[in-house]
Amino acid sequence: MNILAIETATPACAVGVRTTAGLEVTRVVDDGRRHTEALTGAMQTLLEEVGLRPRDVDRVVVDRGPGLFTGLRVGIATAIGFSQALGCALVGVTSLEMLAGGAFDAGVRGTLVACVDARRGEIFAQAFLLKDEVTVLDEARVTTALEIVASTEAKGAPAIFTGDGVERYRIDFQDRSFATIFDQVVPSVHAGLSIGSSRMPDEVVSPLYLREADAVANFTTRERPK
Amino acid sequence: MALVLGIETSCDETAASVVDEQFHVHSSVIESSIDQHRAFGGVVPELAGRAHVATIGPVVRRALTEAGLDPLDPQILGIAVTSGPGLIGSLLVGLSAAKAYALAWGVPFVGINHLEGHLFAPLLERSDLEWPLMTLLVSGGHSLIVLQGGPGEHVVLGETIDDAAGEAYDKVARWLGLGYPGGPEIDRLAQSGTSGALKLPRSMTGDDYDLSFSGLKTAVVRATEKQHGLPVADVAASFQAAVAEQLLRKLRSALEHHPVKGLALAGGVAANSALRAGVTELAQEFGIEAHLPTLAMCTDNAAMIAAAGTYRLRHDAASSFDLSASPNWQLADVS
Ligand SMILES: [Zn+2]
Repeated sequence: MNILAIETATPACAVGVRTTAGLEVTRVVDDGRRHTEALTGAMQTLLEEVGLRPRDVDRVVVDRGPGLFTGLRVGIATAIGFSQALGCALVGVTSLEMLAGGAFDAGVRGTLVACVDARRGEIFAQAFLLKDEVTVLDEARVTTALEIVASTEAKGAPAIFTGDGVERYRIDFQDRSFATIFDQVVPSVHAGLSIGSSRMPDEVVSPLYLREADAVANFTTRERPK
Repeated sequence: MALVLGIETSCDETAASVVDEQFHVHSSVIESSIDQHRAFGGVVPELAGRAHVATIGPVVRRALTEAGLDPLDPQILGIAVTSGPGLIGSLLVGLSAAKAYALAWGVPFVGINHLEGHLFAPLLERSDLEWPLMTLLVSGGHSLIVLQGGPGEHVVLGETIDDAAGEAYDKVARWLGLGYPGGPEIDRLAQSGTSGALKLPRSMTGDDYDLSFSGLKTAVVRATEKQHGLPVADVAASFQAAVAEQLLRKLRSALEHHPVKGLALAGGVAANSALRAGVTELAQEFGIEAHLPTLAMCTDNAAMIAAAGTYRLRHDAASSFDLSASPNWQLADVS
């Protein structure tokens, strides 16, 4: 199976391709939130590098979040368009699963909390157990670094923290006896390729926002664009 | 037959359409998220962006199948997509999808200015248009007077210096406690009101072609604050007459200085009855043809984007995959 993976949940944009023959290339374009400009060109380049034509792709895997709303929409709209145009399978995986998978692939074992920067002082977080395989321990949710640190401490067991949410609020995680940091900012497309290849395709992939549109919560007045 | 797939997601409509080089519309699909925005009295960008992601795939598929094309191998010349102006989060959905379709099918794509798209709308209903054309483009987002030498050739003679005409309608409607969008409701009420009931100032009396509606809106607010109990229908009629008066006065002046063969209305506010009547009269007076597109072609749609795309793909280079969305792209900057 030839698989293409798309990652746009964080400020970087990453693409990965794995061929039926087992050849794999991944690339991270990290020039700060320029997902739209970088993504399609990177897909084209990587496919050329492994000698695939677009129509050779059997499956598209996309990070459906949580993460940057705009980034998610760019990645998912691209994944929808590409898979629909080719009539190939589409699979959504979460940014938190990709972070957990990335840590697992790097040899990390134990209880891991994946943290994606949610802006405005918050993070998206989910706990996983990394043993012989990766298992989910709780639901993905919006929280704060301090809350997640406190609740981990209360459980009395050590945990490993990873993701750009940890990077952003490093001061809250570091120098704590029960917390280790595994440095990883961009959800792993390598892990995305692996997770996505073993999963049933989705009928519909939609962003995992985990947060209401701001406006719905506190809307005053807004004009149409000029 | 050279077919172009058009995609439009600049505001609250997710639209896709297939048009040929003769500007015949083979399909035109529009999904609007307007119902989600009503409660907020205006389009909420984040909600619009969310709606686009949910609808873009099905809308494009429907446009292809309704045009009788194989959605996996549509045999099109290329893809035209609105890349500005508009809401950035909305534009990005259409643009991202368009690039992906282009890569998958191995066809070129081109970023289209939404306003230029509106200028192509009359061509979708009249292939025998005589040029040059004077076009009044009025909607919730834009208000311009444009002189068109031919398809793809345009000079912006004037534009609003503050609110768009449709925006002023929305604001006045909100002030009067009417629904959103305000245009249709004010237009409906105005039919039974007296347009002279409210004394509103004549605005923008200079001899340029620029427009302004913010002052009118403020004048309506002031007048209704002073005179309680004014019938809403009279306020609506007075406001509508004042908007039409300014637009038609500027149009008349443009026609006096620039002889043209036709006068066209474009944009969502082109549905306004006072404006349609006034433009028809004005065209008669100048002995030129009036082009009043059907409502479906006045409001945002992807057929107009596809039409502009057939022109751009023939005359210009295609866009490259690193094209960004341009939320503030001016029509005057389209080359
Ligand atoms: Zn428009």
